[in-house]
Amino acid sequence: MIGTVPILKIGRTLLVSIQIELSDAVAEGMQNDVLAALERTNAKGIVVDISGFDTVDTYVARILAETAKMAKLMGARSVLVGMRPEVAATLVRMGYTMDDVQFALNLDEGLALLGHVIPR
Amino acid sequence: MIDVVAQYRLEIQIEDDIVIVRRKARQLAQARKLDPFATAAITTAVSELTRNVLVHAGGGSVVLEEISDGERYGVRATFEDHGPGIANLELALAGGHSTSKTMGLGLSGSKRLADRFEVKTEKGVGTTVRIEKWQGL
Amino acid sequence: MHARYLRTLKFDELELASRRTFFRVTDEDLARLASLRSFAEKHTEAIVEAFYELLLGHPETAKFFSDELAVKHVKKLQRDYFLQLFDGRCDLAYVENRLRVGAAHERIGLAPKWYLGAYRRYLEVVREQLFKTFPSDEARASMESITRIVFFDMSIAIDTYIAANLETIGRHQLAIRELSTPVIRVHERILLMPLIGTIDSLRANQIMDALLLRVVEEQARFVIVDIAGVPVVDTKVADSLLKTTAAVRMLGAQVILTGISAPIARTLVQLGVDVSSMHTCARLQEGIELALQLAGKVIVDREKGGAP
Ligand SMILES: Nc1ncnc2c1ncn2[C@@H]1O[C@H](COP(=O)(O)OP(=O)(O)O)[C@@H](O)[C@H]1O
Ligand SMILES: [Mg+2]
Repeated sequence: MIGTVPILKIGRTLLVSIQIELSDAVAEGMQNDVLAALERTNAKGIVVDISGFDTVDTYVARILAETAKMAKLMGARSVLVGMRPEVAATLVRMGYTMDDVQFALNLDEGLALLGHVIPR
Repeated sequence: MIDVVAQYRLEIQIEDDIVIVRRKARQLAQARKLDPFATAAITTAVSELTRNVLVHAGGGSVVLEEISDGERYGVRATFEDHGPGIANLELALAGGHSTSKTMGLGLSGSKRLADRFEVKTEKGVGTTVRIEKWQGL
Repeated sequence: MHARYLRTLKFDELELASRRTFFRVTDEDLARLASLRSFAEKHTEAIVEAFYELLLGHPETAKFFSDELAVKHVKKLQRDYFLQLFDGRCDLAYVENRLRVGAAHERIGLAPKWYLGAYRRYLEVVREQLFKTFPSDEARASMESITRIVFFDMSIAIDTYIAANLETIGRHQLAIRELSTPVIRVHERILLMPLIGTIDSLRANQIMDALLLRVVEEQARFVIVDIAGVPVVDTKVADSLLKTTAAVRMLGAQVILTGISAPIARTLVQLGVDVSSMHTCARLQEGIELALQLAGKVIVDREKGGAP
């Protein structure tokens, strides 16, 4: 699935904001879209806004984490922003702490976090 | 004694059913005023177990129930499939073990999230998993 | 509502049968009680009056029945209660009904000693009336049946009183727990959660949930969790602290763990915790300083001069 999620480019950062229910297909589509966008552009950072998700199971969480890893191989750093308290609690209780992913409280902080490392 | 207040049976056949089933679970949890953490817990566990039925057993069904003990409300989900059964239940429940190169946290994680968790499985016959999540005190 | 106590007390058919045997409440007794129904109806009024005379005449019990309306109400309940003794049944429905008595008394704080005393008065008045009404043989047999069912009732009332009391205590503990886990805002976007007292798994979960909610609410960047007041940090507690730390990180904030004593340090290392990824300090003050420093703030000593 291509084109499932809107991807915005701000400077050299991609902004991914998913507003529809994160089914497996949407998550996989998001991964494809992000990697394709990285190929097309000179983006060096990705901010994925997940504040709209009320359920993230380990399968979807892994897709998010893997997307970040793949992006890193392609030279871009990723930040997940806006995770809800109940989502964080649930994932941690299931034993998935997403250790290799970076997080920020909100969009601004995510952009700021990348801003330090990404030249304009 | 636990009363069943309402009951819904849903088929699990295709990937889209994962979203349908967990949406229903969320809806029941919210209707029965489980707090956001308990709601996320049951919804996520349901999502995991629905996927397991689909991926590991090729399909099956789930019964979602609103339950009550006269004092509090809760949500119960009972998954049933006629797949191959869980080959090594102990390992599957320990967490981190998967036969399909995925996380292997679905079954053990659901157990940790639920207030009650039961699994019955028989090789070649199928698997039944039942979980409950209740309102906080 | 009272059905719940049946469960708490594990009062099922088996328990019912066993208790009836022990209190000698036989079917013959029940039949005799049923046959006494019209006697009971005739004397209800007098018996209930005598009962309340005792309760209202004693200062310590009188205070539970302060207003007239309430007294009228409980008298009516008491009449119903008394007559039910002569329903001639002793099944789970009967027990459930009896559970009310203990629970109601617990609610108003009337201790068992008072209603045990009141039961005695009951028996006294009933005996008087029985011997006035019936030949002594019959009166004696009737008295025996009534004594059996009344003692059976008392056992249930006491059980319920205890169960209801335990519930009240449980509720208080919960309230105390919630009070004992405050989250304090010590500075802009810096929170402090001083943990005090034992942490069991229920409280560990509450701590995590409460903290995560506050982090998002306050958009906090740092959370200082001070565990100096936790008497025992075993592997379970340590694990829950790590989970909380991990969850806070997933929100985009950081935990600074303070109040780490030598034994706690030992436990954490033995657990195989990756301490390199954690901010930890021995003392709370250092934790606050660290949070401020990480947030890009400085504390300067005016005496010694220093920046502006
Ligand atoms: N309904 C099922 N039928 C058969 N096997 C199952 C079922 N559910 C789980 N399993 C087995 O248990 C293992 C662990 O499941 P789980 O914890 O959900 O991890 P994962 O799905 O990532 O493999 C699976 O790899 C699979 O072998
Ligand atoms: Mg699974």
